[in-house]
Amino acid sequence: MRTVLVVDDEFGTVEVLVAALEDAGYRTLTAANGRRALERLEENKPDLVLSDFMMPLMDGAALVAAMRAAPAFRDIPVIMMSAAPEAALRKHLDGYEAFLRKPFRVPALLAMIAAIFARRADPPQS
Amino acid sequence: MTQHGTGLELERVPTGIAGLDRILCGGLLRGGVYIIEGVPGTGKTILANQICFDHVAAGGRVAFVTVLAESHTRMLQHLQPMTFYHEDAIPDRLYYVSAFRILEHEGLKGIVDLLRREIKGHQATLVVLDGFGTTEESASSPREFKKFVHEIQSHAAALDCTVLLLTNGSEREVSPEYTMVDGMIQLADTLYDQRTERTLQVAKFRGSDFLPGRHSFRITCQGLEIFPRVEAAFALPTVRNEYSPHRQSSGIASLDAILGGGLLAETSIGIYGPTGIGKTTLGLQYLARSSAAELGTFFGFFESPERLRARAQTLGVDLRGLERQGAVELIWYPQGEHTLDELGHQIIEAVRRRGVKRLFIDGYTGLAESATNPERMTRFVSTLGNELRALKATVLISMESRNILGTAAELPSKGMSSLLEGLILLRYTELEGRIRRVVSVTKIRDSGFDPQLREFEITERGIEIGEPMHGIEAALSGFAREPRVVQPHDRSQGRLRED
Repeated sequence: MRTVLVVDDEFGTVEVLVAALEDAGYRTLTAANGRRALERLEENKPDLVLSDFMMPLMDGAALVAAMRAAPAFRDIPVIMMSAAPEAALRKHLDGYEAFLRKPFRVPALLAMIAAIFARRADPPQS
Repeated sequence: MTQHGTGLELERVPTGIAGLDRILCGGLLRGGVYIIEGVPGTGKTILANQICFDHVAAGGRVAFVTVLAESHTRMLQHLQPMTFYHEDAIPDRLYYVSAFRILEHEGLKGIVDLLRREIKGHQATLVVLDGFGTTEESASSPREFKKFVHEIQSHAAALDCTVLLLTNGSEREVSPEYTMVDGMIQLADTLYDQRTERTLQVAKFRGSDFLPGRHSFRITCQGLEIFPRVEAAFALPTVRNEYSPHRQSSGIASLDAILGGGLLAETSIGIYGPTGIGKTTLGLQYLARSSAAELGTFFGFFESPERLRARAQTLGVDLRGLERQGAVELIWYPQGEHTLDELGHQIIEAVRRRGVKRLFIDGYTGLAESATNPERMTRFVSTLGNELRALKATVLISMESRNILGTAAELPSKGMSSLLEGLILLRYTELEGRIRRVVSVTKIRDSGFDPQLREFEITERGIEIGEPMHGIEAALSGFAREPRVVQPHDRSQGRLRED
């Protein structure tokens, strides 16, 4: 069973995402901000991180940067979510796998996660 | 905007909302902590976001912190149709975070730390805490909550950051935070019979003057449009002008003669009479004399511009041509949900914007029926009149009497006659089996006038006034008659005989 770490400061959003992911057969971990997410990564290495951008203490950009700087987490794919448009965040972000603009529909999220795992399982031939 | 003087004055942070900045005499004070209070649905979140986006547009940076409030995604979806909303401000200059988890795990101390970090981390010059009431609920004692507010104040002042605390309000009459913060803005939505009126009141504003009382506002796609209460906003006219008495044509030569040479310019004159008597016709003829030198405005509530143009044409007035030349502007506010103050501000703005010298308001009823408190009308009209005079506008206002026929009725508002410098009375009267129209001037302050009654007609040339009605009695009662001559022998018999 694959594990997804859900990182969002909004309590309601986390609840909804956890329910949807668990219904789809994923195991979930949660964190309310980037700093807490790094602690969770140390405890349990997930297969994918689904992170909000705007959060207190440490935002999504800082979380991705910290993950990419840590060899143990460098390869974990990150889906970035935000109510702000991707274009507004792009200059702050590097190394994220995909972007989801809030609000989004759960099937779109699940399809995106499935596609990322499929790519990882079957990397393109170079 | 900085107030200059002793050097100790606090810098202003304009809210960017013209009406609110007027009420606050320039804006909030930088580094101050302000409560915005109102029950759900009164517009707190929109007001706070509007201030945030305007603050960002002026070069500031904002952190918007929520505690068990609407989700950020939902909130931004609701804000997107608003004209003040600019997506590109997020997240660089306007940053939304939720502090609920921190409140749960670290309590009020965690919230204070978070606010301090967000202010420093984002170099915020404005912070909003939406859900201030939730933080109060989590305080273990009133003393702890007061300490929390005090800490927010200390950090706000030290970091030079203005803070807005949004709350649904406290059930206690005087809650501790009220006594501590620098100011309090209350929003309300009050039901008057079947309609509601949104109002904003500054209950406290430490270190600054402000316009007292309740100010009406509307929520539109532009956000909150706030209309400072006319009596407070224009308590003193905004401009001071020398007044040199001069005349202005009423647009009807014979009426000008009755008035002693025309209307006294820069005064307010009422046209009082029943429905259909010719009040609007008189107003249209007055506006027909508008020109580039004497711009005119029709501010009405009843007839649409299309109907007015058509009606003017039947009187020989080319309203459309005057509009094309820019000499006349037609403003139509069909009676709906407008507030009295909104109308007052629109009238003043219409005059100010074009430097209007001829203003016809059609009519008083449209203003009076928008008032949720009719007791205001006398003061409202007085203040409005003072401001319009100061702007050098001459004002004709139509006022409808209730009775079509019968004895002269009272003016529509108590004290109204003393507010008007002139009063033109239009009446129907019955004489010789026919309804006739009668005009008389009953008041022109500081000027002589011809008080005689005259019959008038409305023709394709407009109002045409005849000669004085000599030999007619009681025309203003609605039932005119030829004078009765009493013969000595009739008197002895106790009978009157008509001559």
